[in-house]
Amino acid sequence: MLLLELGKKGLEEAAREGASYADIRIGKIFDENLTVKRGVPERVTLLLKSGFGVRVIAKGAWGFAGSVDLTEDEVVETTRRAVKIALASSRLKKKDVALTPPTARRDKYTTPLKKDPFKVPLDEKMDVLLQAERIVAEHSSLIKTSSAFFRAMREEKLFMDTDGSEIIQEITWCGGGLLGIAVRNGEVQRRSYPSPFRGNFSTKGYEFFQSLDLLGHAKEVGQEAVDLLDAEKCPSGETDIVIRGDQLALQIHESCGHPTELDRALGTEADYAGTSFLTPKKLGKLRYGSDKVNIVADATVLGGLGTFGYDDEGTPAKQVYLVKKGLFVGYQSSRETAHELGFEKSSGGMRADSPLALPLIRMTNINLLPGDWKAEEIIEETKSGILMVTNTSWSIDDKRLNFQFGTEIAWKIRNGSKDKMVKNPTYTGITPDFWGSCDAVSEDDWMMWGTPNCGKGVPGQVMYVGHGCGTARFRNVRTGLVG
Amino acid sequence: MVTERLLNVAEKTVELAVKEKVNQAQAASFLWDSALTRYANSQIHQNIASKTGGVAIKVVIDKKIGTLSVNTLEERQIKDAIGKAVKIAEVTPPNKDFKSLPKPEKWTPIQGAFDKETATCSPDYRAERVKEVIGTAHSKSPIVKAVAGSFSTDMLAFAVSNSLGVSAWAKISLASLKVTVISQANGSEGFGYAVQHSRHMKDINPALIADKAAEKSITTVKPKTLTPGEYETVLSPLAVGTIFDYLGYIGFSATPYQDGQSFVKYHLDQQIFDEKLSVKDDTRDKRTLIAVPVDGEGVRKKTVKLVDKGVVSEQSICYDSLTSGREKGTPSTGHSIPPITSGFGQARPMPINMVATPGDATTEEMIKETRHGIFVTRFHYVNPVEPTKAILTGLTRDGTFLIENGEIIGPIMNMRFTDSMLSVLKDVPMIGKELEQGETTTVPPIKLKKLRFTGVTQY
Repeated sequence: MLLLELGKKGLEEAAREGASYADIRIGKIFDENLTVKRGVPERVTLLLKSGFGVRVIAKGAWGFAGSVDLTEDEVVETTRRAVKIALASSRLKKKDVALTPPTARRDKYTTPLKKDPFKVPLDEKMDVLLQAERIVAEHSSLIKTSSAFFRAMREEKLFMDTDGSEIIQEITWCGGGLLGIAVRNGEVQRRSYPSPFRGNFSTKGYEFFQSLDLLGHAKEVGQEAVDLLDAEKCPSGETDIVIRGDQLALQIHESCGHPTELDRALGTEADYAGTSFLTPKKLGKLRYGSDKVNIVADATVLGGLGTFGYDDEGTPAKQVYLVKKGLFVGYQSSRETAHELGFEKSSGGMRADSPLALPLIRMTNINLLPGDWKAEEIIEETKSGILMVTNTSWSIDDKRLNFQFGTEIAWKIRNGSKDKMVKNPTYTGITPDFWGSCDAVSEDDWMMWGTPNCGKGVPGQVMYVGHGCGTARFRNVRTGLVG
Repeated sequence: MVTERLLNVAEKTVELAVKEKVNQAQAASFLWDSALTRYANSQIHQNIASKTGGVAIKVVIDKKIGTLSVNTLEERQIKDAIGKAVKIAEVTPPNKDFKSLPKPEKWTPIQGAFDKETATCSPDYRAERVKEVIGTAHSKSPIVKAVAGSFSTDMLAFAVSNSLGVSAWAKISLASLKVTVISQANGSEGFGYAVQHSRHMKDINPALIADKAAEKSITTVKPKTLTPGEYETVLSPLAVGTIFDYLGYIGFSATPYQDGQSFVKYHLDQQIFDEKLSVKDDTRDKRTLIAVPVDGEGVRKKTVKLVDKGVVSEQSICYDSLTSGREKGTPSTGHSIPPITSGFGQARPMPINMVATPGDATTEEMIKETRHGIFVTRFHYVNPVEPTKAILTGLTRDGTFLIENGEIIGPIMNMRFTDSMLSVLKDVPMIGKELEQGETTTVPPIKLKKLRFTGVTQY
C-alpha cells in the first residue's frame, strides 16, 4: 500500500474513533556512522529505521501511538490505540487542548546538496578517516588515542493531518571530525577538530565533509593535544574572556536555546530537564543581554543542522527573534503552546527524533546574529583576558541560570595579542549577567555549527540542531575553578 | 512467546548470513513495547505508546566487520540487510583488535525479571495512578501549586545468536513512577522529587511517592543563599546513584580505561576510596532493576567488583568482546549494552546493575552527626570535567537543605559543586544501612566529610 494511502487510512480511522484532530507521520531514517580509532575501523554501522506515529486529540486530550510495522492493519490498530490513550488522558485534563489555526499545505522539501553522501563509496570515506587518524596518531608517542569520524543521516518523512496537510520531506546531513588524546603520567589532554561531539555537521552533501579537510588539520590536532600537557593551568579569578564559535555555540544552546523553549517555560518539562527563568511574565520586559546580543531561531538558514521545510506538525520553517538588542522578545513554540500564550502562530519548532516518537519543541538553528567586529579585532582590543576554544564540559541548572563550561584549550590574551596556551580552562556565570557583559560580537568568522546530540524529553529523544555564531567577548567573568 | 520468536529471527539471520560465505556472523533481535503517561501542571499532557523491534547484524570476513541494524523482524528485509552488511564488511579494512565473536557458555534465565501484568499495563491503569499522585500531592498542603512527572511501563526482550553457537535471550518488565511537586508561597517556589522503580507495576506506591515529593516541596520554599565553600554533606541515595553512574561511565568502562581516560588506570590496586565503600555490578542481585542474564552479544553477565573495600583494580573494569579482545587473556565480562537503544548497542560497555554494600547508619543519624553542612536530595546536570581525576561538576536540585548542629534548619538555594570524587569519597564517615533501587544503581545514603561547592544559583 502506498504511504499516502496508509496515512489517509490512519486519519480516517482516527476520525471514525472520535478524534477531533489527528496527524500521522510515516518515515524512514538512514544513519551511517564510521569511526576509525587507533588505526582500526572501530565502527562501521548503517542503521535503517522506519515506522509511523499517530497523534490524536480526542475528548480534548492528547494521545499518541507508534509502530514499526507499516501495514494497513497495524496503522488501524495503532490509531485506535492512540485514541484509547487520549481518552485515558482526558480523565485528567483541566481544559481542552487548543491549537493555533491550521496552516495546511501540500508541499515537498528536499535538502539541497551537490553530492549524495550515501552514494560515495564506503571505502573512499574510510580511506580519508584512516589517513587523517594516522596523522594525528603519528604526531607523537604521547598520543594514546586518536579517532576520526564520519556520519551521514537521511530522513524521509510524510506528514498528514486532518486539516489537510500533506508534506513530503527528505532531509540529509553529514559531517565528521577528528580527536586526539595525549596522555603523560596520568594527565590527559584532548583536542578535537573542527568541534567536539565527533566533529561538525551540516544539512549539505558530501561536499561539506570534504570542505572540512580533515587531512589538512590532523597534524594540528596532535600538536595541540601534546602541547597542552606542558601548558600552564587556567588562572582563577575574574577576567575578560573571548569565546570562539566552537564553544560559543554550546553557550547559546544551553543558556538561550533551552530556556526559550515554551514548553519548559510553561512547566511541562519540570519533571526532567527543568523549567526556565524566562517565564511568560518576562516576555518583552527582561533584559537578557547587552544591546549587542541578537538571537534568532531560524529553520531556514542554508546548511544549518536544524534546517528543514516544515516542522513535525506541518508549520513552515521560519525565523523568529528570541532576543533583540538584548531584550527577551520571543519563544520557540508549538501550535498548542503558541495558542496558550495567545500567539497567532507556532514558531515551527516541533520535532521528533523518529516517526515513533512524539514531537516536542526542539531547537532548530539558534543563532547569535553577527555583530560589527572582526574576530581578530576583538583580541586586539582586549588588554588582558583569556581566549576560550572548543567545548569539553558543560553543566547548567534546571532554570538555565547558573552555568559552568570547560574548553579543551585556551590562550591568555595580553595587550591585544594571543599569548601563552593554558590548559583545563573553565568559566562560570549567571545567564543574564553573562550575556549582559557581552560587548563585542564578530562578523567575519560567523558560521553554522551542528550539534547532533541534543537530548530532551521523557522518554529521551536525541535531536540534531544548529547554532550560527562567530566570536564574542564577555567582561569580568569567573574563570579557572578546577585544579 | 516473544523470546522464542526473537530467537528464531536471530538464528535464521545467522543461518542466512553464513550462506554469504562470511567467517562469523551474529544477530541480536529485540522487541520493545513501551508506554508512558506524562503529566505536568497537575494534568496529563503527553500520553504515548510505541512498539519497536529489529535486528542488529554483524558479519566478519577476515577481521573485516560490517554492522547493520534494521528495525524489522521481517525475513525478506532482513535478507536484504544481510547483503548490505556483507558489502560493508567487504570494503572495510580489517580490525586487528578483533579476535572472535563470543563462544557459547552456560547461562540461566533470571526468575522474577518479567511480569506480564506490567508488560500489558493499560493507559487507564496509569491514568488512575497519576490521578492518585496528583490528588495526594495537592492534599498535602494548599501551597502545592503543580505536580509533574511520568508513569511508564515497559516490556523489553532480546535474543542473540552467533555462528559459534551462542544462543541466548532475556525478557524483562519495568515500571517507573517519577514525581516532581512544585509549591509556591509569597512569590517563592519550592521543589520536591521522589521516584520508585520496580520490575512489577503493583509494587509502585503512588501515594507514598507523591507524599515524599510533596513533603520536600513544601519545605523548600523561601530558600536562603549559602556562601560557596567546602561543607560536610549528606547525600540521599538518589544523589549517590548519580555519582556512581558517572564513575561507571568515566572509570569502570573498558573504553575510557583503554583510552587512558579512566581514573582507575592510574590507581590500580590502590585504596582510593574509603575502605567502608564496596560496590559490585551484579545483574543477579534481586535488588537491581534491569535483570538481564546475558549482554548484547549473548555473553553471560559476570559479577564485577567495581570497588572492593575502597580499592580499585584491573578486576574493576567492565568489558565487551571487542574491548576484551584488545587485552591478552582478558575475557568479556558480559557488559555489551543490549541492542534496545537507538544506536542498537553501539555504546561503551558499562555497569548497569551497581549494588553498594550497606553501612549501619540512618539518614537521620548522618544529619545528627553534622555540625555545619548540606543535605543534598538530588543532583542535576552532572558532567565530568577531568575524567582521570574523577572531577565532576553539577548542581543540586529539588530540595537542598542547610544542616546546623545536627538538625535541618531550612532550605537553601541550589548550589554548584565541582570536586574530585577521588578526594570526596576518600573519607566517608557514615554509610546508610538502607539501599534504594535506582535505574542502574542500588545504593545507600552516605555522609561525606567534605564536598566543594563552587557556586550558587539564583531564582
